[in-house]
Amino acid sequence: MVEVKLHDVGEGMTEGEITQYLVSVGDSVKVDQPLVEVQTDKVSAELPSPVAGTVKAIKAEVGEVVTVGTTVIVLEKAGSREEQQSGAGKRAQVKSDMRKEQTSFKMRIEKSRPAEGTGRVLATPYTRRIALENNIDIEQVKGTGPAGRVTDEDVYAYRDQKDSSVPEEPEQREKEQQVTGHLPAVYETPESNMIPYRGRRKQIGKKMSHSLKTIPHVTHFDEVDLTNLIRLRDELKEETGSAPGAAAFFIKALAIALKDYPVFNAVLHEEKEQIELKKEYNIGLAADTEDGLIVPVVHHTERLSIAEIHTEIKRVLNLAKENNLTKKELSGGTFTVSNVGPLGSIGATPVINEPETALIAFHKTKKMPVVRNDEIVIRSMMNLSMSFDHRVADGAAAVAFTNRFAQLIENPAKMMLEMV
Amino acid sequence: MKTMTEIKTNKLTLVQAVTDGLRTMLREHEEVLVLGEDVGQNGGVFRATDGLAAEFGEARVMDTPLAEAGIVGTSIGLAINGFRPVAEMQFLGFVYPAYEQIMTHASRIRSRTLSRYSVPMVIRAPYGGGIRAPEIHSDSCESLFTHMPGMKVVVPSNPYDAKGLLIAAIEDPDPVLFMEPMRSYRAFKADVPEEKYTVELGKGAKLTEGEDVTVIAWGNMVSTAQKAVDQLKDDNISCELLDLRTLYPLDKDLIAESVKKTGRAVIVHEAPETGGVGNDVLSVINNEAFLYLRSPVQKVAGFDTPFPFFSLEEEYLPTPERITHAIKKAVTF
Repeated sequence: MVEVKLHDVGEGMTEGEITQYLVSVGDSVKVDQPLVEVQTDKVSAELPSPVAGTVKAIKAEVGEVVTVGTTVIVLEKAGSREEQQSGAGKRAQVKSDMRKEQTSFKMRIEKSRPAEGTGRVLATPYTRRIALENNIDIEQVKGTGPAGRVTDEDVYAYRDQKDSSVPEEPEQREKEQQVTGHLPAVYETPESNMIPYRGRRKQIGKKMSHSLKTIPHVTHFDEVDLTNLIRLRDELKEETGSAPGAAAFFIKALAIALKDYPVFNAVLHEEKEQIELKKEYNIGLAADTEDGLIVPVVHHTERLSIAEIHTEIKRVLNLAKENNLTKKELSGGTFTVSNVGPLGSIGATPVINEPETALIAFHKTKKMPVVRNDEIVIRSMMNLSMSFDHRVADGAAAVAFTNRFAQLIENPAKMMLEMV
Repeated sequence: MKTMTEIKTNKLTLVQAVTDGLRTMLREHEEVLVLGEDVGQNGGVFRATDGLAAEFGEARVMDTPLAEAGIVGTSIGLAINGFRPVAEMQFLGFVYPAYEQIMTHASRIRSRTLSRYSVPMVIRAPYGGGIRAPEIHSDSCESLFTHMPGMKVVVPSNPYDAKGLLIAAIEDPDPVLFMEPMRSYRAFKADVPEEKYTVELGKGAKLTEGEDVTVIAWGNMVSTAQKAVDQLKDDNISCELLDLRTLYPLDKDLIAESVKKTGRAVIVHEAPETGGVGNDVLSVINNEAFLYLRSPVQKVAGFDTPFPFFSLEEEYLPTPERITHAIKKAVTF
């Protein structure tokens, strides 16, 4: 028997959600044939078959979140001794194997049950009902009962703690009370729809709340005059028929500005009491896809020309749209850009993409009357919002950094001089 | 409406209540017949038909040869032709030769004839251990019959229910297996109305109200479970005791309502655990009250062996101690 286990398909992943099986029990499979699709925190990956053989058992259900190392599928290798056994003996063997595996599977689940509350938890149906009626995800509750079982009291304590620790908008609170106070309404009302909070959505949620909980965020706002950049792009278009998008210019300018202010291209190792200044300028692009936010990375922007950066941006965004990003394109980011201007935004307080130190959001460009040389003139202005980790840097540095960025982007000719 | 004081009652044992029920129906309906081995002159092996042959004659209370298949087959024929036979198996464990008649004819004639014929017959059968009987005499094989659609299975646990359920069974248009718990036959007396009354088939009874755990039993095991429930009062464990009274069809509402209230259940029966009616009760709990469970449902049952010789029968039968242990397990899970 060959056990196909969930392995780490992305950087440091610990668990994945089974989204669909591509084979059924009894199917013959070839080497490298995709067996199951798993949604990790970053990508949707297919686990290939390590051997040729037959699918003997499927060990996890669709929708189940399994930890790395958990057996997902059991295969019988083609030509194996087990396969040659016949009749009742074989069946008994399979049965006893299955039993063994089930036991160890269960043990693994229990052992790997993380303290912070992901994975399956032990709880009686009665306790589960209390959690359901209080709109509590029982898997988030830490159990204090025998073998870590979640008790009724644990659920009540969790509810009370949640109620007292989260200051909510009155309106939000009212909504929640409607839900918790009379739970069946949620299920009984035909108008309400339930969206599963799983997969990419849940991963985004976890990541965002962890970032906000651990990093003291400060957001600094500024405005940049893009008139010259727009003129340059128009000229390029006239001469060559095309021009790189504004984002490619922004990223190049960032790569230069980050060299001057390396503290924003850094990772804080709090426990080691060190701030690591990264030597690479790998810029992540927050991309909106059908499945939610994902951040592909343009690597080594310091080595690329603006045209090359433009090509690379187009490539990774296409991959993101098709959900085909690989581990390489999703890892190694040192600074993140959220280009929400095209969507119409004029301001935001973006959340830092851990473990990075800063993130910048570019907003809508619009023509505005501004004062230049004591005269009111029309210029193309763009707001930017830069969130940074206040443990690592201070406001003055952030202002200096965005000033430097503005200086480069407002004078594209000057930027050319500083490019490698 | 009569009040209790106006109803004339007699203190009867369970077996006397059976006799009373038979007499009531023999008097009331000419088509009611009693047949079985030694039920006539001898009054039956447990005297359940004592005096009936003298009162109603051998044409209505008749001795038969020692042939269970014949007794049941004859009863089926009589029932189809307008009689209401009440056949006696001397012990439930003797029913096996008649099983074919019951399984392939009695329980199916209604569906086979699209309800043109039904089989209004009752098979009375003493059952259960605790009276130091020889082999096969103590079998508790009710689940062979609850798995037989078309057949009702009824088990009284006290004299009042015995008369009321028996009359309801005789009046029922379909075949009923009426199981009489031998150990309870003469164990105690209770007030039984002289007049005719019925206890509805398919309805269980709540014997005691409780908060912590539902204890579900039938027949002999009701009094055993009652002892356990009483003992646990000292431990401040409040049990709700249900007497199912009918094993097919089960009173699902009663079971579900009680388990939803207490969140815990202990099922007690003396038949072997595997394939026992306890599993059907468990299935009702699973379907109707799953989200109310605070602990896994416990079963206290006979062991998966033939009923043992009498020197071991007290080891085999569920005891109050085994039941209290299971209840405590459920409550402290």
